[in-house]
Amino acid sequence: MRNHLQKLKTLLLALTLIFSVSIVSNAQNRTVTGTVLDATLGDGVPGATVLIKGTTRGVATDLDGKFTIEVQPGDQILVISFIGYTTQEVEIGNQSNITVNLEEDIQSLQEAVVIGYGSQDKKEITSAVVGVKPEDFNRGNVSNPAQLLQGKVAGLSITRPGGSPNGATNIRLRGLSTFGANSSPLIVLDGVIGASIENVDPNDIQSIDVLKDGSAAAIYGARGSSGVILITTTKKANKDGRTAVSINTFGTMDQATNLIPTLSAEEFVARGGTDFGSNTDWREELISDAFSYTTNASVSGGFNNTNYMASVNWRDNQGIVNGVKNERLNTRLNISQGALDNKLRFNINLSFSNVDSEDINDGAFRYATLYNPTAPIFENTEDANNRFGGYFQRDLFDFYNPVALANQQKFIGETKTSLASYRVEYDIRPNLTVSAQYSQDRRNTLSGAFWSRQDFQVGFGAGGSAQRNTFDRQQKIFESTIRYEQDITDGLNMTLLGGVAMQSTKNQGFNARVRQYLFDLGWDNLGAGSIRLGNNTDVSSFANEDQLNSLFGRANFNYNNTYFFSASVRAETYSGFGANNQTGVFPALSAGADFTQIFDMGIFNQFKPRVSYGVTGNLPPSPTLSLGVFGNGNRIDIDGDPLTQNDVFVGIVQNSNPNQDLKWETKKEFNIGIDFGLWNDKVTGSMDYYTRNISDLLFNVPVATGAPNPFDPGRFNTASSTWVNLADLRAAGFEFALGVNGIDLGAVKWTPNINFTIYDKTQIQSLSAGELGFDELRFATPGSPGQNNNPIIYNRVGQTLGDIYGPRLLGLTDGGEYILSTTDPDEFEKLGNGLPKGEFGFANNFVYGQWNLSFFFRGAWGHDLYNSYRGFYENGDPASNTWNSVITDKTPTNPLVTSTPTFNSSYVEDASFVRLDNMELGYNFKTNSPNLNSFRVYFAAQNLFTITGYTGIDPEIRVTDLENGNGFTSSLSPGIERRNTYFQTRSFTLGVTVNFK
Amino acid sequence: MLKYISKICLVIPAVFLLGSCWELDQEVLDGVTAEDIANSTNPQLIDVLKASAYSRIVGSWGGHNSIWSIHEVASDEMAIPQKGADWEDGGLWLRMHRHTWQPSDEAFNNSWNYCYTAVGEINNLIISYPDVVALNAELKVLRALVYLWLIDSFGNVPIITEASSGGNPTNNSRQEVFNFIESSIKENIDLLPKADTKTTLNYYSAQAILAKLYLNAEIYTGTAKWAEAEAAADEVIAGPYSLTTNFFSNFSTRNGGSTENILTLPYDQDNAGGFNLVQMTLHYLSQNTYNLQEQPWNGYASLEEFYNSFDDSDIRKSSFLEGPQFAADGSRLNDISAEANDPDGQPLTFTPEINQLAPNAYRQAGVRVGKFEFATGAASSLSNDYPLFRLADIILVKAEAAFRQGKTAAALTAVNQVRSRAGVAPLAAVTLDDLYNERGFEMFAEASRRTDQIRFGKFNQPWWEKGQSEPFRALFPIPLQQINANPSLVQNPGY
Repeated sequence: MRNHLQKLKTLLLALTLIFSVSIVSNAQNRTVTGTVLDATLGDGVPGATVLIKGTTRGVATDLDGKFTIEVQPGDQILVISFIGYTTQEVEIGNQSNITVNLEEDIQSLQEAVVIGYGSQDKKEITSAVVGVKPEDFNRGNVSNPAQLLQGKVAGLSITRPGGSPNGATNIRLRGLSTFGANSSPLIVLDGVIGASIENVDPNDIQSIDVLKDGSAAAIYGARGSSGVILITTTKKANKDGRTAVSINTFGTMDQATNLIPTLSAEEFVARGGTDFGSNTDWREELISDAFSYTTNASVSGGFNNTNYMASVNWRDNQGIVNGVKNERLNTRLNISQGALDNKLRFNINLSFSNVDSEDINDGAFRYATLYNPTAPIFENTEDANNRFGGYFQRDLFDFYNPVALANQQKFIGETKTSLASYRVEYDIRPNLTVSAQYSQDRRNTLSGAFWSRQDFQVGFGAGGSAQRNTFDRQQKIFESTIRYEQDITDGLNMTLLGGVAMQSTKNQGFNARVRQYLFDLGWDNLGAGSIRLGNNTDVSSFANEDQLNSLFGRANFNYNNTYFFSASVRAETYSGFGANNQTGVFPALSAGADFTQIFDMGIFNQFKPRVSYGVTGNLPPSPTLSLGVFGNGNRIDIDGDPLTQNDVFVGIVQNSNPNQDLKWETKKEFNIGIDFGLWNDKVTGSMDYYTRNISDLLFNVPVATGAPNPFDPGRFNTASSTWVNLADLRAAGFEFALGVNGIDLGAVKWTPNINFTIYDKTQIQSLSAGELGFDELRFATPGSPGQNNNPIIYNRVGQTLGDIYGPRLLGLTDGGEYILSTTDPDEFEKLGNGLPKGEFGFANNFVYGQWNLSFFFRGAWGHDLYNSYRGFYENGDPASNTWNSVITDKTPTNPLVTSTPTFNSSYVEDASFVRLDNMELGYNFKTNSPNLNSFRVYFAAQNLFTITGYTGIDPEIRVTDLENGNGFTSSLSPGIERRNTYFQTRSFTLGVTVNFK
Repeated sequence: MLKYISKICLVIPAVFLLGSCWELDQEVLDGVTAEDIANSTNPQLIDVLKASAYSRIVGSWGGHNSIWSIHEVASDEMAIPQKGADWEDGGLWLRMHRHTWQPSDEAFNNSWNYCYTAVGEINNLIISYPDVVALNAELKVLRALVYLWLIDSFGNVPIITEASSGGNPTNNSRQEVFNFIESSIKENIDLLPKADTKTTLNYYSAQAILAKLYLNAEIYTGTAKWAEAEAAADEVIAGPYSLTTNFFSNFSTRNGGSTENILTLPYDQDNAGGFNLVQMTLHYLSQNTYNLQEQPWNGYASLEEFYNSFDDSDIRKSSFLEGPQFAADGSRLNDISAEANDPDGQPLTFTPEINQLAPNAYRQAGVRVGKFEFATGAASSLSNDYPLFRLADIILVKAEAAFRQGKTAAALTAVNQVRSRAGVAPLAAVTLDDLYNERGFEMFAEASRRTDQIRFGKFNQPWWEKGQSEPFRALFPIPLQQINANPSLVQNPGY
C-alpha cells in the first residue's frame, strides 16, 4: 500500500504544483506556515493540498511537507487533503504555524482487484472476489504462500495438520466440489495458469486474490470448479532512478506441543506391560527444539520506462525431529520495459527455486507415543549389534524402536522449479490493447529412499533397500488476448475481452528400487543392491501428455458507476475427454448496483447488492482414463523354462475399462452478496450466500465385472471398474467479512478484521448415473491391528458427505467391556462428520507510536475427528499391553475398558477449536539516515495456544485422509486423525527488516 | 505406438480460430490400447495374451481376502482367531467362521471380481482371435473352470460369453450354469493337448473339471451324476500322472516337476506374486524360523478337532505346524508379549487347542498351515506352484463316485491307494464317513473342504465356536457391490 502511495504522491505533487500557481494571493492578509506529516511515519507529506474551507484558495506542500498560505480575515478552517489520507480540517484561530498529522486512509484508495485476465476497480466487482494484501498476511515463519491466507478469507479453508516443515497444505474453497479430480483451487501466478506454488516465495507477493464464486472462476473454465487463487508478485519500483534494497531476516525456534499423555514406565508395568528394566521417554528421545533461519533480500528500481525487481529468498526450516528439514532457495527477476511512448510493453518474470527436503518414516511419531517405556534405546548384545546396529528391538507385532526407525530409514527429495513467463502488450489505440503471453513451468523432483540393512521394519529380511525416483512436470502455455474499452453512451462504459489459449502438460518419471546390500550405500549406488526383482524392488517409468485448447471472452458494463454487469464464456477442448465429448462450454453472468448512488443511504457510502451465476468444470485426474489403457501384467515365460529368456515378456492387463463418453465435471454456482461501506469506509464488509450444484463427477465406478462394456460396444469389462461421470452434490454457505479501519483508543489505534463462514455441508443427492453407481460409498478403515475391514466413513445418498458411521457406545459393563448399540455394519448410526459447520478468523492490529502488535485467532466449529490414538491405545485389555497406553481427559479409567479396541462413538470427538494462530510485536525505529528508509525489529509466535475439547494431536480439520488407500478418494473420508500424524509445533520468531533507499 | 497430439499451433489466434488444430487426439505414452494390440504383428503376442488370461486366475487365489480364504474359513478346517485387537477386522472372519456373513462382506466381492475379470478377459480374447481354433477351445475350457468356482460359490450366476451383448447380465439358474460348464468342456475337450502341461489346460485337467462338476451335480442341480463323475475321473487316472512317493513334494517350493499335479497356478515370488500363505498363517516370530523377508501376520490356524482327526502315523499330519518353534539357528523362539494367562508361557508353541475364537485367542494358539514348504528367506509371495487339480484328489473323486454307485470294492482300492502313500494302514472296508474323512486328510488347505462338507451334508452342522447354520448358507451371497453395480442381479435365497 505504502509503495503504491509513494508513486501517486509524486505524481500528484506535480499536478498540485501546477494547480497552485494559478491561485491568486491577496496582499492584505497574514501568512500561516505549517507542515503536513504522515501520522504513522512522521515524514513530511509532499504535494498535499491545503485549502481554505469554502474557497478555492489553496496551496500544495513542498517536498518536505511544508506549506505557506495567505489567510484572509474570515478564513477559519484549513482543509488538508491528499490522496490516500483521510481529509482533515484544522481551525486556524491565531496560529501562525500549524502542524497537521494526516492519517492514512486505506479504504479511500480503491484497490484494483485482480480478476482473471486483468484487474477491476473493487467498486465494479459483481462476483465474490476477495483480495488480500501483504499487511493482512499471517505472521511468523511462513514458507508456503497458501499459509499466508490461512483464516483470512471467508470460505477459504487452509489446513496443515501437524508441524512438519515438509507438510502439505490442503486448500478448499467453499468446501469440496469434487470427489478427487482436483480438489484444491487453481493457482494462477502472474497470469500463468496452474503454476507450481513453489515458484513463489511468500516474501515476493504483492497481492493474493481469491475468485470464490462460479461466475468469477468461470473464465478459467474446466479448471475453475475448485475456485481460483491469483497470486501477483511484487513489481515495486521507484520511478526516480533510485534503487531500493530490502532485507528481511529471522530465526525461528520450533517446539513440540500438545503431546498426548501416556503411561509412565511404572504405570505401564503396573498395568501388566512387559518390563524390560529401563525407563525411556521415547518422545523426548525423538524430538528436540528446532532452529530455522530465513533471509529474504530484494533489490528494485526503475528508470524511464524500465522497472525491475530481483529477489533472493533462503529458508532453512528444521523439523523437531533430527532428519526432518526443508531448505529452500527461491530467486526471482521481474522486469518490465515500455517502448513507443509506453504503448508497447514487455514483461518478463523469471523464477527459479530449489527445495531440498528430508523426512523420516512418520511411523516414528506413532511408535514414540506407544513403544514400551521400559525398553532401552540400545542394548549391548551380540544379536542387537549384529542385526540392529545396537538398537533394542523385539520380534513383536507392530513394534519398532522409534529412534531406530527415525535413524535407519531416510527419505529425501530435491525439487527444482523454474517458471519463465514472457508477456508483450501493445496499445493499438488507447482503448484497444492486444497481448500475448508464453510461459513455461517446469518442476523436477528427484527423490531417494533408504532402509538400512539393520533397519528392523523393512531392511531386516530385505537385506537393506534403496530407491531413487524422479517426477518431472512441464507445462507450456501460449495465450493471447485482445481488450477493447469504449464509452457507448454517456455514462455507459463497456470493456470487452477476448482470448485464446493453448496449453500442453507433460508428466514423466522413473523409479528404481533394489535390495540386499553388503554395505549401506543407499540410493547413491543402486548397483550395489544385489536383488532387483520381486519384493521391495521396482523398475518402472511413466509418462503422459495432454493438451487443452481454449477460447474465452468477457464483457463488462458500467453505467454511471451505479449499475454493473459482467458476462463471460470459455470453451475448452481437452485431449483427455472421451472422443464423444471433447469440448465443454462454461458461461457466467453477474450484475450489481451501488444503491448509494441511487438512494440516500445515510451512513452508508457503499451498498452494493450483487448476484452472479457461473458454470465451471473439473478435468479428469489423468488424461488417458477414457481410453482403457492396458498396463503391465505379470511377467510371462511362455515355455516355462527359466533357462530360455527370449520368450519372457511382461503381459498386459487393462487397468480400467474405456469410456468414450468421459467428460468434465460440472459445477453450477449461484451467489448473492452485498459489499458495503459505512462512514466513508471506516467500516467495510461483505456478505455472500451461495449454492452450488455439482454433477457429472468423475469416479471410478464398479461395473458388472466381465459383462459387455456399455461405453465400448463389442468389448467386455475386464476391470472391475470404469471411469464415468456420475453423482450430484449440493452445497451452500454463508460468508461474512467485516473490517474497521483504525478505531481510536487514545494513543492506540486498533484495526480489527473478522470473517466467518457457515457451511451448509455438501449433500450427496445422487451417486449414480443411469444404472451405474452406488447407494453409498464406504471408506477409511482404522487399520492394523485388527481394524482392517470396517470402514468408518459412509457417504450415503441423501446424507452429508463424509459422515462417520459406527456403533454407539452405550456404556461399559462393570468389568469394563463395551456395551455397543450393534455389531451389524448395516445398523451403524451416524456418529459425526469431519467437515466443519463453520470457520472463522479474527485479526487484530494495534498501532502505538512506532510499536505495532497484531494477533490472529482462527478456529472452526462443528467438525468431528476420529482420535485414532484413543481408538487403538487406551484400553486395558491384556493384548493391548504390548503397547503403551494413552490417557487423555476422555479416557475411561474407572473401570478401564477391557474389550479389545473396536471402533465406536466414543472415539469420535468434537474437534471445534479456537487457536491463537499467530501474533507479532514489532517496533519501527525512527531513522534520520539518508540511506535508510526503515528499520524494524519484530517478534512473532505461532500456535501459541488452542482451546478445544479434542484430546488428539491437532483439532485442525482433516479434509483428506492420509491412509485411505486410493489417493483419488482421500477427500471422501475427512475427519480422521491418523496415528502417524507429525506432532504439533509452536514457533517463536525473532526478525529484522531493513529497507535502504 | 506413438500417435500424435495435434501439434501446438504457435501462430496468431486468427489461424487458430479457423479450427485447423482444434480437435485433439490423446496420445498414450506408457501403455497400449486395444488398437495397438489389434495392429501388432508380434508372433509371440498371442501366447502372451493367453498367458495373461491365465494370470487372472493365478492372481489373488492364494492371498488373504480371496476366494481361497472364504472357502477355507467357512469350513471346519481353518479359522482366523481374533487375538486382541489383531484380526478383528470388522468381524468379517468371525462371521465367516460362524456362518453369519453378510452380502456386503468384502471378501465375496473380491472372489466375484477374481472370477469375472477372468471371464471378461477371456471373452475379449475370443473375440479378438475368432479363427484360432485351439486357442478358442482352451479359453472356453478355462472359462468353464472359472464357472466351476462360480457355480460352487455363488450358484446362480450370469453366464457371459463372447456372444453376450448389451445391457446388464441377469442371473442364470444353477442348472443353466451346470449345462454351460458341461457343454463348454465337451465341445472343446478334444481340441486340447494330451501332453502333461501343468500350467495350462489339457485334456486331463478338462476331465478333472468335469469330474468335480459331476461329483457335485446333485448339489448343483438336484440330479446326481456319479457314473459320469467316475468316468471322468477314470480318464484322468489313465493319464500321464502318478502319485509321488513323498506327499509333500507336491507342495514344495520347487514343485514344478511333480508327477502328481495336474493343473497348477505357477506362482513365483518375483514374476507372479499373490500366494501369501506364509504371511497369512505364521506367527510374527516365525520370521526368524525361516529368515523371512517380512514379518508374518499370525492369522490362519487349523481347528483342534480337525487336527486331532488325523492319525498320528499319518505323514499328512505334518501338514500342520505344531509344537515348539525355533529360530533358524536352532534357538527357542520366545514371545515376550505372550498373554499372561497363556499356559504355554513365552516360549513360542503352536498348540492344537485354541482357547477361543474371539476376542482374546492366545497369539500362539492353533496349529498352522505347514503343508506348503516355506523356503528359507522367502518373500511375502511364495514360489510354490499351487495345485488346482492333483491325482490323489481325482482318485478320491473316483472312490466316492464309485462308492455312491455301490461299487464298494473299487472305492476301497482307490482310497487305500491314497492312504498307503500317506503311511497309514489300509482300510478293510469303506464307509461314506471314511471317504469324507480321507478327503479331509488329503485335501487340507486346498480349498476343497467347504464343497466336501456341503456334499456330505456336514456344512450346516455345529462345530467349534459355530452353531447350526441355516441351509441357505451353503451358497455364498451375490456380493452387494455387484448388485449395486448391476441392478438386474437377484440375490441368492435367504440373504
